Amino acid sequence: MDHTRRHANPEGVQTVHRRQQPRHQLELRVDAEPFWMSGIRALTTDLAIRADFDLDSVADLTLAVDEACAMLIDVAEAGDTLACRFSVTVDEIMVTATLPVGRRVDRPSLATNTFGWRVMVTLADDVDLIDSSEDVGRDAALAIRLTKRRGPAGG
Amino acid sequence: MAATGPIVVPEDDAACEELPQGQHGYERFAPLFIELAGCDADEPRWQHLRNLIVEAHLPIAHHIARRFVRRGEPLADLEQVATVGLINAVDRYEPDRGVDFLSFAVPTITGEVRRYFRDHGWAMRVPRRLKELHVALGGAVSELSQRLGRAPTARELAAHLDIPFEDVVEGLAASNAYRSRSLDSMMDDGTGSQQAAGVLGQLDAELEQTEHREALAPLLAELRERERAIIILRFFGNLTQTQIAERIGISQMHVSRLLSHTLGVLRAKLSAG
Repeated sequence: MDHTRRHANPEGVQTVHRRQQPRHQLELRVDAEPFWMSGIRALTTDLAIRADFDLDSVADLTLAVDEACAMLIDVAEAGDTLACRFSVTVDEIMVTATLPVGRRVDRPSLATNTFGWRVMVTLADDVDLIDSSEDVGRDAALAIRLTKRRGPAGG
Repeated sequence: MAATGPIVVPEDDAACEELPQGQHGYERFAPLFIELAGCDADEPRWQHLRNLIVEAHLPIAHHIARRFVRRGEPLADLEQVATVGLINAVDRYEPDRGVDFLSFAVPTITGEVRRYFRDHGWAMRVPRRLKELHVALGGAVSELSQRLGRAPTARELAAHLDIPFEDVVEGLAASNAYRSRSLDSMMDDGTGSQQAAGVLGQLDAELEQTEHREALAPLLAELRERERAIIILRFFGNLTQTQIAERIGISQMHVSRLLSHTLGVLRAKLSAG
């Protein structure tokens, strides 16, 4: 009996599965325009629900991503692309929103003493500004990385 | 009118701006209203005048319809509903009451469009199964939140309701959609604002200490009481959405939608200023 049960235990299957695929990744590239905001929101919500984050964390992450993308789109020019990379592990969801600015002559910047930044800091566990906008060359970019860790709901 | 895609209009759909009076040339129809009021409905002149007046005021109906376009109904449908509202307004307007037609028509038309959302928006477009799921999820979320002391996850909801995980995902997506947001905000506007007022007093001091006070305070003051309370509780009081929901007396999903909407409004105003 015990033997059979151990073999049928779905937890065991899941552990193996996790070890093979510790990280689910998805990248979404859109024109840096407000038009795409609702799509980005919907994707964020869906990913966080499927990752089984509690509903407060789901809503917080969605709002934070919304804020980050809005901030980048706000300094974007026509023709710019916004890349959102989602990385989901058992413990956390990391979202990196990147606006490449290498093709631009006047490089935009982001302030972190704004209400919007405070919003993100409240909503996410970690918020990082990755600013290489002054770099020479085409890789220069402005990026915001948000990390939301799984709450007390557990894995 | 052309077909409408998902249009993103950065305007506050809660604001019903007044049409500036005396600048639209609509006053010139005042004599026609008096003439119309003097006609019998079976006279050809009545029909003629009524058509003339309705057609002339169509831009106002369309203007009002466009203000609701972000809520996800096709513009053509909204314009049709607003036009019905306009015709009602023309038929019910009594020029001898001393109120000009626009002051009477704008709320009448707006009311018609709101009624349309209430009666049809959510009810007609969402399958019965999803509506039932929405209700079941709402109950389960608040029950589990109380029991767990935090918001539940989708798996916990599925286990609690004994339904498949995918159904929960689908139901939550539907509940998060704008349609229920517009429904919620129309159905229970004003709920909880008393509780919100109490909360505000306590947190005014907290707001005083933030560096954003200068830019933010006037914008917060413009918000409706409940929206303001939610922003303050979340970002200055550091309560979770579930805790706010409990305190204000609305659902967590509704708090989430209100926060999302209000942040968008604040963002637009902060970047404009």
